[in-house]
Amino acid sequence: MRHSFTAVIEKNATFHEDFETEPYECAWASEARWFINVMELEGDGAKLSARVQVSPDGIFWCDEGSRFEPMSEPGMYSLAVRDFGGWLRLDCELDGTDARVRLMIYLVLKE
Amino acid sequence: MALANADIRLSRFNPLPRILAFDDFDDGLHGWCELVGNHNGDLNELQPVFRDMRPAQLSTCTFFDMGSHGAVDGTYSMKLATRPRKFHQAVAIKRLTSAADGLVQFEAWFTYKAEQTFGGDDPGARAWDGNYHPSEAHFGSFTLWNDICEGTEPRDRYHAALRYENTNEEGEFTQRWLYKTGLHPTTRMLREGFDSNQNDVHVAKPDMWAPIPGGDQQLCFNEVPTKVNWHYLRWLFDLSTRRNTELQVNDLTMDLRDIPVLRFDEGYWGISRLLNLCMDVRTTSNVRNFLYMDSVVISADW
Repeated sequence: MRHSFTAVIEKNATFHEDFETEPYECAWASEARWFINVMELEGDGAKLSARVQVSPDGIFWCDEGSRFEPMSEPGMYSLAVRDFGGWLRLDCELDGTDARVRLMIYLVLKE
Repeated sequence: MALANADIRLSRFNPLPRILAFDDFDDGLHGWCELVGNHNGDLNELQPVFRDMRPAQLSTCTFFDMGSHGAVDGTYSMKLATRPRKFHQAVAIKRLTSAADGLVQFEAWFTYKAEQTFGGDDPGARAWDGNYHPSEAHFGSFTLWNDICEGTEPRDRYHAALRYENTNEEGEFTQRWLYKTGLHPTTRMLREGFDSNQNDVHVAKPDMWAPIPGGDQQLCFNEVPTKVNWHYLRWLFDLSTRRNTELQVNDLTMDLRDIPVLRFDEGYWGISRLLNLCMDVRTTSNVRNFLYMDSVVISADW
């Protein structure tokens, strides 16, 4: 039986600007799936973008290459990743006038 | 004990006769999960200090300068990580119930670190001198604690909490063990108007901690933020007396039988025989703090 673990990376968090998620160690896992539950998204032209980033040490980061399709309304969004090494995070951009987003972010890992 | 000595992985522990859990984090998190406060389904109801306790991680102890450090044995340890924000706290909990009153023992091989920072030492901070590293002053505290409730009667519930305070709220070295002198503000207490600073899950105000007699101790931070040395810890408490018994950390053993443990005056519903074990790390700087557990053994004399 393969190990798996679901981490709540952001919990009911509200953002008014760009942000990166906290570093999360995932060297034991061979596959990952991000979920973003956008519960509220407000502001003229508000849009959330998220790119997957990887790191050798949890300090210095680069783009992994995959990204969520831009999110412009509440809902559940998901993205699968493989071959990510030892660390994962999301680099998120919030565009729009007086934009505000409230969300949950989950990282589901499997051996 | 004979069993422990015969098993190479258990021989570094001193368990009581019945082992309730042997959590070697080389094969998963063993039920140590993120603490979340009480709510009614609406997460806006969470009291602020409980909103962001962070998920535990399986860590390889990997650092930018030397790669993977690994653990006492195998590759992985459990890591709790704060955000890089002063007084943020990361908390993990393991939820059990007790089958009898009596002794319970928590043992662990652990280490702790502050995240590597680059350049721009804190103004006025003691400088790196080739031995001392300012990273050590970036680490706040870690705490071991329980949540016990025997039944539904008033005064059936209590928390024992033991904190290693490396630096105090002002970020000054104290390097000592503390016990708490105030109640953990529960969600119900806050809803009834209890005043709390909301930056420490254990107490409402920072002066609600007191030094354990004989509890001054310098641990092995080992100079830089990328070397880890594992420490042995053994905490014994007694469900019969509702008290701590003793805490051993390497060569220091503290007798805790006279340390008071506060009880809640009101009764609690639906948590009879509660036996929760918890651990947390709390930063006193704007630098991430980490608590690592190579392995944990929970044992009992019942």
